[in-house]
Amino acid sequence: MAAVRTSSEVAFNRIAIAAVLIATLIFLAPIYWIASTAFKPKELAVSVPPTVLFEPEVTPFIRLFTKRVQMQKPVDPQVYEAAPWWEKRIYDGGERVLKVGNDVQLSQYPNRFMNSLIVAVISTVLAVGMGTFTAYGFSRFKIAGEADLLFFILSTRMLPPVVVAIPMFLMYRMVGLNDSHIGLIILYVAFNLSFSVWLMKGFMDEIPKEYEEAALVDGYTRMQAFFKIVLPEAATGIAATAVFCFITAWNEYAFALIMTNRRAQTAPPFIPSQIGSGLPDWTTIAAGTFLFLLPVAIFTFLLRNHLLRGVTFGAIRK
Amino acid sequence: MRKIVTSVIAGIGLALACGTSVRAQDKELTIFWAEWDPANYLQELVNDYTAETGVKVTVQTTPWPDFQTKAFTEFNAHGDAYDLVVGDSQWLGAGSTQGHYVDLTDFFNQHKLTDVMAPATIKYYAEYPGGSGKYWAIPLEGDAIGWSYRKDWFEDPKEKEAFKAKYKYDLAVPTTYAQLRDIAEFFHRPDQKRYGVAIYTDNSYDAMAMGVESAIFSYGGDLGDYASYKVDGITNSKEAAAGLDMYKELYKFTPPGWGKTFFVEDNQAITGGLAAMSMNFFAFFPPLVNKATNPYADVTGFFANPAGPDGKRFAALGGQGVSVVSYSKNKDEAMKFLEWFIKDETQKKWAELGGYTCSQAVLKSEAFQKATPYNKAFYDTMFMVKDFWATPEYAEVLDQLNQNIYPFVVGGKGTAQEALDKTAADWKATFTKYNRYK
Amino acid sequence: MASVALTHLDPASRAAARGWSDLTIRNLFIIPTLVFLIVFNIFPLIYSLGYSFTNFAANRSEPWQFVGLQNYRELLSDDHIWSNFVITAKYVIVSVAGQMIVGFGLALLLNRSFPMKGLITTLLLLPMMMSAAVVGLFWQLLYSPSWGPINYVFGLGDFAWLSNPDSALYAVAITDIWMWSPFVMLLSLAGLSAVPQHLYEAAAIDRAGWWYTFTRITLPLVSPILLIALIFRTMEAFKTFDIAYTMTTQPTAELIAIRLYKQAFQQWDTGKSCALAYIVLIMVLAITNLYVKYLNKVKER
Repeated sequence: MAAVRTSSEVAFNRIAIAAVLIATLIFLAPIYWIASTAFKPKELAVSVPPTVLFEPEVTPFIRLFTKRVQMQKPVDPQVYEAAPWWEKRIYDGGERVLKVGNDVQLSQYPNRFMNSLIVAVISTVLAVGMGTFTAYGFSRFKIAGEADLLFFILSTRMLPPVVVAIPMFLMYRMVGLNDSHIGLIILYVAFNLSFSVWLMKGFMDEIPKEYEEAALVDGYTRMQAFFKIVLPEAATGIAATAVFCFITAWNEYAFALIMTNRRAQTAPPFIPSQIGSGLPDWTTIAAGTFLFLLPVAIFTFLLRNHLLRGVTFGAIRK
Repeated sequence: MRKIVTSVIAGIGLALACGTSVRAQDKELTIFWAEWDPANYLQELVNDYTAETGVKVTVQTTPWPDFQTKAFTEFNAHGDAYDLVVGDSQWLGAGSTQGHYVDLTDFFNQHKLTDVMAPATIKYYAEYPGGSGKYWAIPLEGDAIGWSYRKDWFEDPKEKEAFKAKYKYDLAVPTTYAQLRDIAEFFHRPDQKRYGVAIYTDNSYDAMAMGVESAIFSYGGDLGDYASYKVDGITNSKEAAAGLDMYKELYKFTPPGWGKTFFVEDNQAITGGLAAMSMNFFAFFPPLVNKATNPYADVTGFFANPAGPDGKRFAALGGQGVSVVSYSKNKDEAMKFLEWFIKDETQKKWAELGGYTCSQAVLKSEAFQKATPYNKAFYDTMFMVKDFWATPEYAEVLDQLNQNIYPFVVGGKGTAQEALDKTAADWKATFTKYNRYK
Repeated sequence: MASVALTHLDPASRAAARGWSDLTIRNLFIIPTLVFLIVFNIFPLIYSLGYSFTNFAANRSEPWQFVGLQNYRELLSDDHIWSNFVITAKYVIVSVAGQMIVGFGLALLLNRSFPMKGLITTLLLLPMMMSAAVVGLFWQLLYSPSWGPINYVFGLGDFAWLSNPDSALYAVAITDIWMWSPFVMLLSLAGLSAVPQHLYEAAAIDRAGWWYTFTRITLPLVSPILLIALIFRTMEAFKTFDIAYTMTTQPTAELIAIRLYKQAFQQWDTGKSCALAYIVLIMVLAITNLYVKYLNKVKER
């Protein structure tokens, strides 16, 4: 804006900022609802009218991590008294914790969460790594039919997951990759790689060629120049690309639903199974969702400056 | 940047470490079932087996709407993730003819299970094709459609009086669908946030089909001739249309937003004080009798599915048998487990934990029938059950039914006759495609 | 790749004669990615193209037969499939238009300096970081006429968003708009911040009105990036599966991806599903091609 501001501009500015704040509140309301449901007593999750203020409790998280079973009769008072605090919370909800001997049986959630972590981290590293190399190749070297190849790479991202899933299911059946971490990682890399090449190419084009050429004159090999000069320059772009790839892999549902089962199932198809075995239990689902959002939210928050700058960077290019 | 790289590498290391530590532990069995209370009861039951034999048994679950898809994706991938599966009665056709289930006929005969288990459970959960004497599953969980209701509303003198004045007969537990409809209409008071009845409408799997077929069967209709695959004039008979019409009629008296409902919603209709009556499979009733989960536990009653206009009385069959997956690497271990499971003590314990045993001896015992307020109604219902198609193309047949009746029941499009005519035509085409009319 | 092209490298890079040659590096950097994409994206497609002409069913052991174009003929004359496409088209138009308007609007509002701008922008990105399947599940609760906050806050009483066959699709679209507007916002923000300030200053000196500045300066300059957002969101909306699948089972909200999933993995009609997959694929490619052509035109201006 020009240095001199009229009063109407100032007023307009204020209105705009107020509108931003209101919009932010509207956008965050559903997330607040999920997060708050994760700390609600079960019956308040479906109260009339909806409950906004309440005394938070961690019971949903206890439920999320344990295997429980519905009781048909109230618990024996003596058993109740002897139970540790967290088990009492389960009893309060009309359930009891399943045990083998004295060991509490854990739910599948930690395992599913771990699977998500394994698959999302490894596939992101591979997709961004390969994408960075390839983008550099396209950016710096002359390649016959470059535009067509780039369009081909982008077009692989247009494939609806279910379309790819049918032949992949049959191919995996032949080689025994169904329900395996590797199988899922391959799918996610294939899915994210095109996006990664495409974004990284934008960043690479922005890094002046002269930087490397100066280094080459100084006696660096091309590889050394790439690792020591180009990669640090591209850090912002790499970070932005990694955030996008990670979010996609972390939350992917269709492939995970079709291709995984007992061994490699990730959290997104699993969380809905916490809906409850006899009565709806929104609080446990909310707890699972809340914990599942945390890593990606933290990751994004840490890299937020890169992300915003990164996208800007990519956009300026012509 | 270096920090990021270091943490990423650390992450991979951690991930790999976890990935490899999942292995090992040789003696292990995995049973696949849907996410509901009986699966938790089963987990508790099999913990005993682990204590006895050292073989770790895990019950893995998935939500009902995905259950069939997940199981069959795994079967068709020829995966060995599951050693045993507690599959729906309708899966027998596909499970047996497509080679997913191990033939248990010898096991059945050797243990004389036809004398041990209740006849209806053998007919529907174990044998395929019907009457062939070939068995593919051990009846594990008996189940059928039943109803819960609010005793306090029914017994309120003022309500009784008003009901009598309006309908000219006494308000009581309904014995016919017509009465059920009247009572639903009577208690349907949206302005007071009270509604008449809760029924199944979820069409992502078989929930709505189970509700609808209960009405159709009781009205004297049928889904078709399961032996000859004849559907014309059976699936779309006048009786069947009348049953479907009744189901649609009941939908009018459901709570708002009742378009995708299954067991959790129907139970919640009672625990949330929303509805006077609620349809559900018996296996879902445990939360309704516990004060901690149902504030109206003391005033919740149960009854068996009512009769149609001609006094015919049927209820849709739920329930499952347990089968050995033919791709499992632990088939011998799985057979040993089954031998343990059919023992009388195990079946008794199973019933005590809350499972619906199919063992005749246990079912008939007074201890079982008095164990819960609904076990008696369950016992009665098991003599009037009828099931859906169990043909190998079951999934297609179910999807076609859902496609045709859902828009009628929930969307109010067309008539019952039209919906069933279309269903009959679709089914005929499907059965023709699979050469069922030889 | 033509082998002639491989030997003609930029003379400037011959300086890097030490270590690996540029040729080696280029091949090393590019070929693995291409091979990977061909093996895991293109090969499966060829594989399924073959199956689309057969009556193969992945759940049966009987040998399959070649049926020619029968699968395609059946699909294209199936009213159900057509209605799935119509539903999908409605959904794409409503949800993408909504996302573009809301996302670009938010970006316009955010495109000024104020305290905590970075934090607020990051917070606004939260919806798109969630798993769509879980979002769909949870919005069922938000939409619930009995205990959902939406009807309570807006005083909609018993309005049954998801049980009403006429509103279910739009309810899903609203959720999708909530989830993905932030993506459009992020890209628009990038585009807006790239508009050179001196153009605005010049307009201010000319005493140009707000509308004039917006339509003559802002919009033309950000339109390429808006189009990119539009391409991405259209593609994604066309593919929508998870959010709608977990949210509703209304036949009036059955998107083509859901039908495809049911046909392929519930009914195991593999041959026909491959054919349907191809029809979907061709449509996505056609739409994207149109967009990309238009994008290139806009960029040339």
